[in-house]
Amino acid sequence: MSILAWCHWLQNTAFATGIRQGDLLFPFIEGSHILALSLSVGLIIMLDLRLLRIAFRSEPVSKVMRQVMPWALPGFGLMFVTGVLLFVAQAEKAYSNTFFRYKLLLLGLAGCNAAYYQWKFYPKMADWDTAPTVPAGPRLTALLSLLLWAFIIALGRTMAYEL
Amino acid sequence: MSLQHLWQLSYDSKTIDLIRNAKYAIPVIQSFHLFGITLLLGSTVILNLRLLGLGLREFSMSVLSAQLWRYAVAGMLITMVSGILVFVPDPARYAANTAFRVKMILLCVAILFQFAVFRKVVRSVAAERASSSNTIAACVSLCLWFFVGWAGRAIAFLG
Repeated sequence: MSILAWCHWLQNTAFATGIRQGDLLFPFIEGSHILALSLSVGLIIMLDLRLLRIAFRSEPVSKVMRQVMPWALPGFGLMFVTGVLLFVAQAEKAYSNTFFRYKLLLLGLAGCNAAYYQWKFYPKMADWDTAPTVPAGPRLTALLSLLLWAFIIALGRTMAYEL
Repeated sequence: MSLQHLWQLSYDSKTIDLIRNAKYAIPVIQSFHLFGITLLLGSTVILNLRLLGLGLREFSMSVLSAQLWRYAVAGMLITMVSGILVFVPDPARYAANTAFRVKMILLCVAILFQFAVFRKVVRSVAAERASSSNTIAACVSLCLWFFVGWAGRAIAFLG
């Protein structure tokens, strides 16, 4: 079975049809998907801005990270769950949507970017945690993160116009 | 001049015609609307989590409000400017939409609350410790902004 055929089957299950046809349910899930941006991306932005030394300059990076992550991660969880529900409800159209495909690609890149930070820079964070400068590597990951999320948001919004 | 006249003027304007007819103008403006929401709500949610004593507790409220307030205001400005740009090409459609009307009323209340009450609460000494009045302020703030968001998303679906 091809992916498109699977999407066709998926969006015609009773569950998917129920979401799609719920007069209030579908906008509620879409609204929640957008509002979860505040928890997920909204909090990650603050860590990125600290790494770029634009905000929280007098606070250690480790402290900002430790305080932001316990809420950013459930925020991404909420984003993922609501995103999956929206996909299921219109799987066939979403799968064929170019903007959606680019969005997934950039999401993957944002994940790699975060993983790279965790693997490469996180173990050495103590060296520059409270220093007046942040090394170029972590600064670049922060800038990439901001750019990637901006494009992910824009692609997500634009895909709705092609559905 | 009635509001209807104003909508018609806006609809007929040549500049606004550009926004309406350029293929990606509205999606791009809508994307900026979301960037603004992310900044505004991101900072407001952080302040509220701290106000509720649920998160960011290692930071004092004074540090958080000093660092975040400008992002909340910047986010609000980006959201409002982009929102107006989405509205002006098709004002009559939005003005007649129930979800849009509900959103505008909630938005006015939310902005009033943000500047008249919330701003003072997050800058007060009493904000450092969780209390029932802080909890109430946080719940009102979160409810107002979230319902503005849900009503906003409903515009496309409800008449």
